[in-house]
Amino acid sequence: MLDKLICVGAIGGGFGVQGDVRLRSFCANPHDIAKYSPLLDENGKTYTLGKLRAMKDGFTTRINEIPTKEDADALKGTRLFVLRKNFPELENDEYYQSDLIGLMVVDGHGENIGKVKSLQNYGAGDILEIFYKGSTALIPFTRAIVPTVDISAGKLIIDPPEGLLD
Amino acid sequence: MGRSVWKGPFVDAHVLKKAEKSRESGRNEVIKIWSRRSTILPQFVGLTFGVYNGHKHIPVSITEDMIGQKFGEYSPTRTYYGHGADKKAKRK
Repeated sequence: MLDKLICVGAIGGGFGVQGDVRLRSFCANPHDIAKYSPLLDENGKTYTLGKLRAMKDGFTTRINEIPTKEDADALKGTRLFVLRKNFPELENDEYYQSDLIGLMVVDGHGENIGKVKSLQNYGAGDILEIFYKGSTALIPFTRAIVPTVDISAGKLIIDPPEGLLD
Repeated sequence: MGRSVWKGPFVDAHVLKKAEKSRESGRNEVIKIWSRRSTILPQFVGLTFGVYNGHKHIPVSITEDMIGQKFGEYSPTRTYYGHGADKKAKRK
């Protein structure tokens, strides 16, 4: 699991004529993308980020491995990844969304309910969106409703209150 | 412009009735409501409402800091799926 590649940004094309690139960050704090440098692409090629300069919808930066504007333009749309093991450790009861997405959801009797599709937060705490009976269902991510999170076993055990999965 | 204080907060009567019934029964259940315009009152703290967003009921567990807001504020009608990246989720 720690060798999993997590997408943290994308190259938006060239910027100017000196070989700078436009960079989009998907991190919780957009500036954190620089902390994970060097980044990888899907083929494992590394990209070392220079100093970030903020601009509309992202940053501009110089990447050591991209010397010219033509190279930068050719890489437009390239997604940039980081190994999961490079993320900092979290406190108790805190999880990376990328670890939770894809986990199996089972009830207390071990019966399969669905799979985590995404996590949302609308201001009242985190909510798990799961694939359920051909559609999706929403489950609050609380200790009462999700008592067990077992990432190594790839499953969540839930105890849904009445009416939650209707 | 704010609502006149003498009127008190607005809550649909059926929401109050459902909340009262759920509290009396003591059952752990999600109270489904369609009334996004109702104000969250102190007696709702600890209950879980399923607030309709035009598509499905979003579970909202009421805490003290939500008092005075409207239910609809916690049940957006549009969803945006961004990248997970290094975003965190906290289990409360």
